[in-house]
Amino acid sequence: MTRDTPRSTRAARLLTGGPPLLFLLVFFVIPSLIMVLTSFRFPGEFGGLAPVTAPADQAAGEYGFTTEAYAFFFSDTLYARVFLKSFGVALATTLACLLMAYPLALLIARSEKRFRNLMVLLVILPFASNFLIRVYAWAIILGPQSALSRVANTLLALLGMEPATLLFSPFAVLVGMVYVHLPFMILPLYTNLEKHDPALLDAAQDLGARGWQRFWRVTWPLSLPGVFSGSALVFIPVLGMFAVPDILGGTRDILIGNLIKDQFLGTRDWPFGSVLSIMLTLAVLSVASLTAWFARAAGRTP
Amino acid sequence: MIRRHAWLWGAAALVYAFLYIPLAIVVIYSFNDSRLNAEWVGFTLHWYRVLFSDAEMLAAAGNSLIIALSASLGATVLGTMAGLAIHRYRLRVLPALVFAPVAMPEILLGVSLLLFFLQVLNLTLGMLSVIIAHTTFCIGFVAIIIRARLQGMDESLFEAARDLGASRWQTFRFVTLPLIMPAVAAGALMSFTLSIDDFVITFFTKGIGEPILPIQIYTMIKVAVTPEVNAVSTLLMLLTLAMIIVAARLESHAASREAARR
Amino acid sequence: MSPRLLPALPSLALLAWLALAAAGCARPDAEAAAAGGRVLHLFNWNNYIAPQTVERFEASCGCRLAQDYYADNEEMLAKLAAGAAGYDLIVPTGNAMDTLIRQGALQPLDKTLLPHLANIDPAYLDTPFDPGNRYSVPYAYTVTLLGYNREKMRELGLPTDTWALIFEPRHLERIKGRVTVLDSQRELLAAALKYLGYSANDADAAHWREAAELIVRAKPYWAAFNSASYIKELAVGNLWVAHGYSNDMFQAALDARRTGRGFAIDYSIPREGAVLALDSMVLPRSGGQTGLAHRFIDFMLEGENAAELTNLIGSGNPNVEAKRHIRPEIASNEAIFPDAGARAGLETLRDFDRSQRRLLSRMWTEVKLR
Repeated sequence: MTRDTPRSTRAARLLTGGPPLLFLLVFFVIPSLIMVLTSFRFPGEFGGLAPVTAPADQAAGEYGFTTEAYAFFFSDTLYARVFLKSFGVALATTLACLLMAYPLALLIARSEKRFRNLMVLLVILPFASNFLIRVYAWAIILGPQSALSRVANTLLALLGMEPATLLFSPFAVLVGMVYVHLPFMILPLYTNLEKHDPALLDAAQDLGARGWQRFWRVTWPLSLPGVFSGSALVFIPVLGMFAVPDILGGTRDILIGNLIKDQFLGTRDWPFGSVLSIMLTLAVLSVASLTAWFARAAGRTP
Repeated sequence: MIRRHAWLWGAAALVYAFLYIPLAIVVIYSFNDSRLNAEWVGFTLHWYRVLFSDAEMLAAAGNSLIIALSASLGATVLGTMAGLAIHRYRLRVLPALVFAPVAMPEILLGVSLLLFFLQVLNLTLGMLSVIIAHTTFCIGFVAIIIRARLQGMDESLFEAARDLGASRWQTFRFVTLPLIMPAVAAGALMSFTLSIDDFVITFFTKGIGEPILPIQIYTMIKVAVTPEVNAVSTLLMLLTLAMIIVAARLESHAASREAARR
Repeated sequence: MSPRLLPALPSLALLAWLALAAAGCARPDAEAAAAGGRVLHLFNWNNYIAPQTVERFEASCGCRLAQDYYADNEEMLAKLAAGAAGYDLIVPTGNAMDTLIRQGALQPLDKTLLPHLANIDPAYLDTPFDPGNRYSVPYAYTVTLLGYNREKMRELGLPTDTWALIFEPRHLERIKGRVTVLDSQRELLAAALKYLGYSANDADAAHWREAAELIVRAKPYWAAFNSASYIKELAVGNLWVAHGYSNDMFQAALDARRTGRGFAIDYSIPREGAVLALDSMVLPRSGGQTGLAHRFIDFMLEGENAAELTNLIGSGNPNVEAKRHIRPEIASNEAIFPDAGARAGLETLRDFDRSQRRLLSRMWTEVKLR
């Protein structure tokens, strides 16, 4: 690497990192700044925003900048409770996805090379159909007249328990969330597992490690980057999701995504919607940095 | 080998079943002789006939495809670059910028982009604004996958290439890219499916007079979705399958030609 | 999937793709432009105009009607609030129209271009939103009411003409888990307020608390807050009672009948009164095709054209001339065409101001979390 002058490194860095940086500065940072400003404004009487300067025709009326939306957020523990609940659902979804995705990703990574692409394709294919249609399909599967519900309720009856309704419940929301986000766990896991050198496992075997030990000592630690990025890709989008609780949820399934959507639509309170989103982004970033810290810590242990 | 994988196969079969049972319902009901997606009544091609005479729905499917292809292309290129840059160089700003759109609720991104397009750029909304919006939120997904692939990869490979006199570009083209190709493909697929499905951001950034599939479908909910939507979903899946297979064949064709040349 | 089958799939799918592309390529917009035709951009609910009506209008004006859809008034308002422009005509619901008028976002109508305006029942003109109808012409209306499984209600001996059915635990315990209410703050609050004997637009904090308590007490018996799938769930028999819109109940009843279920879906306006949502045609200021838009409005005011929508989706119809063209079983349905007595109990929703909206949203979050 002796030929690398600092200048050529800088140039390469600029060439690789520059275009995405520029794109995101324009199409993400500026719009986000607009939204941050929004959180310091008054909501417009009809939705949208109240003017910054005093309207000429109106003596009274609120205008200019304010922190009242923040004050409203912190005036009650209500919103913190919605956050907590949403994080709980996101965590449960992430764990369920991990549990389901890992064996499949491992199998794909260890299959013969010519079958791998096909198997990955089979994971993605269902997602080329329409999102809502897939969620509605779950409404059918979980509905009270479905085979699944009948089997479940027969089992419950045998155990002497009351029949349960699957649809319109937190369980249905979880199933829907897992279904919608599963590929986001499988793909990063697979791309990570696929690069593992089989020689490592053979070496472990030669050293007398049993199957389970080989997994815990070799495969699992090596796959952690994949686990973390998959978890991020599931955990975070679940927080913003509102369609799944809308369709499959019951009377208590309100998540932060529903709340934010509602501020922009039903309530037409953009400033408060922005505050909620900023709080969500901050919460997510702190979770992400915690995870990154854990990942680094885990990476250091042998 | 087989025995060692027996439990894996079992678990994987269950996961595939989980993925495909709802899908089977979607496909089967596209042939169902009932307006309600509720129980099997009888076989019919009626919904496909309805679909093929529904110019608006077809135009919407076409537009959605164009958007999804363009956005996933853009997001894959930019996301791959971002993933590489974040992994290779110690950057502070880019990682936050790349991952933040993933963390942002869709509706916020939709409204803020709409405000930006209209009030800052003074852009006429249309296919382009939708493509830009979709690219923005897909970049992060691609970058995260690319980075997961690069992490823990043997750096000595790249160093060896450089030591052997390969330029940066050559190292990228002949060493790095082939190594990260599975992640690139996975990212592209993910972006495609995200884009073709997105309602919220699409609604806010679309222009007038251009039907787009998720909007057509989502707004039908008011009157209950008909199996026509199942039919269009089924065709879209077939189409995706075809595109992927064609791409895979082209790739393996190119690979074998390259191998022959050496 | 066997590997041998794989080679056949791409060609199969490519065929489908080509067919789609070919059909999709016949872009009507491009066609119309090529023919030098004009395009009228209508921002509307999906399925809110009969296809044959569109065809006849296009033939009569030599232009094309291009529709964009929204699923919610609020989506439409949010998009317009951010500055989206170019729609020639919108069909908002009363309170959304109220907002648009007060924002100054609409063009006044030229009544000389609307000779058929006389067809509208005066009861639907001169609304509080738009006195003298300077900006709006009524298009259709829906009533928020109760839909139910007729046989089940008879079997259980439950009353179907009162909000008590969805609010009183003594009724609810017999239909637990078989009831949904709308996932809408305003609609559910209105139903509760009406049941308590207040106005649907009551903004008194004490009355809201009363309504919230009523809702919290009834909530354990409800299956869900649902605005999306109750049509189907009613029609297949999974739900027995749903709080929803008259159009949707019309569809559910039709579906249940067509699929030969052993029961019928009925719907009625509770005697305590209910919400009436009047949708009107309005012209946004940013629209260009003013002449064409007036032509469309007048066309939709002709009895036959107005009737087609009602025959299609069972919407309420403010057009007197349309009555003759509406199928008799719809025209005689008292939930769609209420008699004078029932009509007196119907209220249109007015917008709350911004601080009331914020408080209502908090109350709604609290209710849902309980």
